[in-house]
Amino acid sequence: MRIFYNECKKAFTSPIFIALLLLFAAFNIFVIVNSSDHKEELKVASELVEKYGRTITDQSLRQFEQDFQVELAELKKITGREYSSVYDFLDGLNHEDHELYDENEWLFINQLQLKEMYVSMAKDIDGNYARIDFKKFAEAEIEKYGLGGAAAKTLQHEYEEFSKRFEEMKQNGEHKEWFFAGKAYFMHSLLYRSVFMHIIIEALLLMVLSTALITNYEFENRTHLVAYATTRGRSLMKDKLAASLTMATSITIFLLAVTLGTFFVVFDYSTMWGTSISSAFNWEYQYPYVSWWDLSVGTFLVGVIVVVYVVMLLFSGLTFALSTLVKNSYITFFLMSSFFVIALLIPSFMLTSSNLLFITTHNLSSLVLNPHQLFMGSSGLTMFKTFELMTIGCWTMITMLFCIFSLKRFNKKDIQ
Amino acid sequence: MRILWNEIKKILTWKVLLLLILINSVLYFFVIEFHIEHFPNGRPALDSYKIATQMVDKYGIDMDEDEILDFKNVYDAEVKKADRYLQSRKEFVEAGIGSYDKFANYSWENEEQSALHDKVFFEEQVDLFFELQERSRLITFHENRKVYPYPSNATAKQKLRYEELNTAKHYRVYTELIIDNFREFISDVAIAILFSVVLVISPAILKDRSRQLLGLQYTAKKGRQLYLTKIAAGMISTFVVITALLIVYFSIYSLNKTSLFFDVPIHTFIGNYAWYNPTFFQYILLCVAAIYVLGFVFGLFAMAFSSIVSSMVALLGIQIPLVAGMLIFGLKPLLSFIIGIWYPQWLVPTSYSVMLIVSVLFVVYLTTREKRRDIVN
Repeated sequence: MRIFYNECKKAFTSPIFIALLLLFAAFNIFVIVNSSDHKEELKVASELVEKYGRTITDQSLRQFEQDFQVELAELKKITGREYSSVYDFLDGLNHEDHELYDENEWLFINQLQLKEMYVSMAKDIDGNYARIDFKKFAEAEIEKYGLGGAAAKTLQHEYEEFSKRFEEMKQNGEHKEWFFAGKAYFMHSLLYRSVFMHIIIEALLLMVLSTALITNYEFENRTHLVAYATTRGRSLMKDKLAASLTMATSITIFLLAVTLGTFFVVFDYSTMWGTSISSAFNWEYQYPYVSWWDLSVGTFLVGVIVVVYVVMLLFSGLTFALSTLVKNSYITFFLMSSFFVIALLIPSFMLTSSNLLFITTHNLSSLVLNPHQLFMGSSGLTMFKTFELMTIGCWTMITMLFCIFSLKRFNKKDIQ
Repeated sequence: MRILWNEIKKILTWKVLLLLILINSVLYFFVIEFHIEHFPNGRPALDSYKIATQMVDKYGIDMDEDEILDFKNVYDAEVKKADRYLQSRKEFVEAGIGSYDKFANYSWENEEQSALHDKVFFEEQVDLFFELQERSRLITFHENRKVYPYPSNATAKQKLRYEELNTAKHYRVYTELIIDNFREFISDVAIAILFSVVLVISPAILKDRSRQLLGLQYTAKKGRQLYLTKIAAGMISTFVVITALLIVYFSIYSLNKTSLFFDVPIHTFIGNYAWYNPTFFQYILLCVAAIYVLGFVFGLFAMAFSSIVSSMVALLGIQIPLVAGMLIFGLKPLLSFIIGIWYPQWLVPTSYSVMLIVSVLFVVYLTTREKRRDIVN
C-alpha cells in the first residue's frame, strides 16, 4: 500500500502536472463562461416545465397557448396595436423605435418572443416527426460514404431496427417533453461536443503523461537497478499499473467535477434532469437526437461520464503496456497520439463494401470523440445499438491481453 | 566541426526519423490530404476554378473596367445560350421557367419548378448552369463594391486601406477558392511542422543531462562551449526538418495546379484585401518564411525547456500549452491571414519579433547560465 501511494505521488507531486491540471480547469471554465450569453433565456424553458408539466399533452399545450394569447394582449397595451405574432411586431420595428419602450417592456417582449418560439415548435412536433424517415437517413448515409454490398445491407438492416424504435418512441410520446430549444441554443452540442470534448482531450493528455511518467520513472531516473532488485522486484510494475489507473481516475474526476460543476452552476438544468434526451426540442441539425433507449437527460449524462471514465482507464492501460515495452515516455507519448489518430483514420482506408468497415469503426477514439452521439441511433456509421458495449468490451479484452503480455515480457527482460 | 556533426547525429537518430515519418503520415492523412484530394471540392467549386483559369488566361493578373465589361458580355452571351437551352425543352417552358432569368429565380415552393431545377444541377449536372451561377456571383460581388465600399465595422485605418485599394482600381474579381485552399493547406502544414520540430528537438539537451554525461563533456577540452555547439546542432536540425518537410508538402501541393495564379496579386481574389500587395507567389514565400520563423522559435523554446526541466514528461507537459495555444489562437492571425486586413497591421510583425526576441534571449540567458552552473545538481 505504501509503495502504491509513493508511485501515485510521483505523478501528483510533479509541478508541471499540477500546473497543467489547473490550467486546463481554468481554460474549461473560461470556455463555459464565454459561451453563457444566453443563460437567462434558458429560464423560459424551465418556467414552462414548472408551469405546464414536463410532458407536452394536447391539454397543456392548449393551456400554454391560451396564456400566450393573454400575454399577446398585453403587448397590445404596450404598443397600442394588435399583433398576431411577436415577430410581426419586431419585423415592423425601426431602429429609432427601440427607444419607445423601457427596459422592463423589452424584457417582457423578449420573453414573449421566446414563448412564441416554444409554442410554434411544440405545435410543429407531430408534423415534423411524421416527415422523419430513418430508412431514408440510412440511404443518405450510404450514399455519403459510398457504401455498398454487405456494409450497406448491415446499415440498412440496423436502421430498420431503429425505425421500429423510432415509431415506438413516437407512440409513447417520449419526444414530447420540454427542453431548451436545440436550434436556438445548441445546449446538447455545447455540453457534449464542446465542454466534454475539452475534458476528454485534456484528460487524455494528462493521463498519458502521468501513466508514462509513473511507468518509466525508474528508467528515466536511473533507479531501475535498485528498484527492480528489491523484494518487491519486478512486481513493482503491478503497483505502477494500479497507480496509473488511480491517477487516470483522479484526473478524470477532477476535470469532470470542476468543469461540469461550473457548467451546471452557470446553466440551470435543475428542471430538466427528467426530460428525455430524445426530446423534440433537442433537435439541432437536420435530424433530432434519438436514442436507442428511453434515457433522461440525467441518465444520459451519467452514461456519458461512465463511458468516458472507462475509456480513460482503457487508454491508461494501453499506455502502461506500451511504455513498459518502449521504456521511453517521450516516444510513448507520440506513439499513443499516433495510435489515437490512426484509429480514427483506419475506417477511411477500409473497403466500403465489407463489414470490416464497421469492425474498424468500433474503436476507442471514435467512441470517446463523439460523446454527443453516444447511445444514439441517429449517429451514422456508429449508430449500432451495441456500439458502446461492444467497443468497450472488445477493447477491455485487448487492453488486458496487451498488459499481461508486456508484464510477462518485462519479467524476463534485461533491464540494463 | 566534428563535434557539431556528431551532435546533429545525436538529434536526428533513425528512431526519431522513423517517428517523424509516422507522425507526419498520420497528420498528412488526418488534416492535409483533404486540401489536395478534394480540390476543387465538388461542383460549383470546380466551375469556379475553371472560370478563374479562363479569366487569368484572357485578362491577365488584374482586371480593368473594359475587361470587366467584356466579362459581363460573356455572361450575357451565356445567358442567351441558357435561354435557348431552356426554350428547347418543353418541360421547362411548361413549368414557367423557360428563360434563364425565370429559371434562376425559380420558386422552391413550386414542386415542379424545384424538381426541374434539381434535375439540371444534380442529375444532369449541366456545365453551363454551374458556370452561369459562378459568373453571376462574381459579377454581383463586383457590383456590390459600389454599394459597400468597405464593411461597416471597419476601423479608420482599415477604411483608409480599403479606399486606397478602391481608388487604385484594384478590384476583387477572381474566385477566392484558390487562395482559401492555400490558406487551409499552409496552416495544416504548419501544424505538422510545429509538431515535427518539437518532436525532434525537445529531447536533445535533456538526454545528455539525464544520462549524466555532463560531467564528462564539460571536463573535456571543448568544455562548456559544448552547450553552444548543442544549440547550433539543434538549430541546424530544425532547419533540416523544416526544409525537408516543406519540400515534401509543397511537391504535394503542386498537384493542385495553382501555378497559373502565381502572378495574381492577392487582393485580386475576392475577400482578400490585405495590408500589402504581394502576388500569390510572394504570398506563398511569405508564408514559408513565417513557418521558418515559427519553427525556429519553437525549436529554440524546445531547447530552452530541455535545458531546464528534469524529465521527459515535464518537457512534454510544459510544451503542450504552448503548442496548443499556438494552434488554437495563433495560427489564424499569424499564418493563414498573415497580412489580412482583418487583423491590425502591427500585430504580425510585433508578435513575430516578440517571439523571436524572447526565445533568443531565453537561450542566451541559458548559455551564460550554463557557463557558471553547478552541474552536479
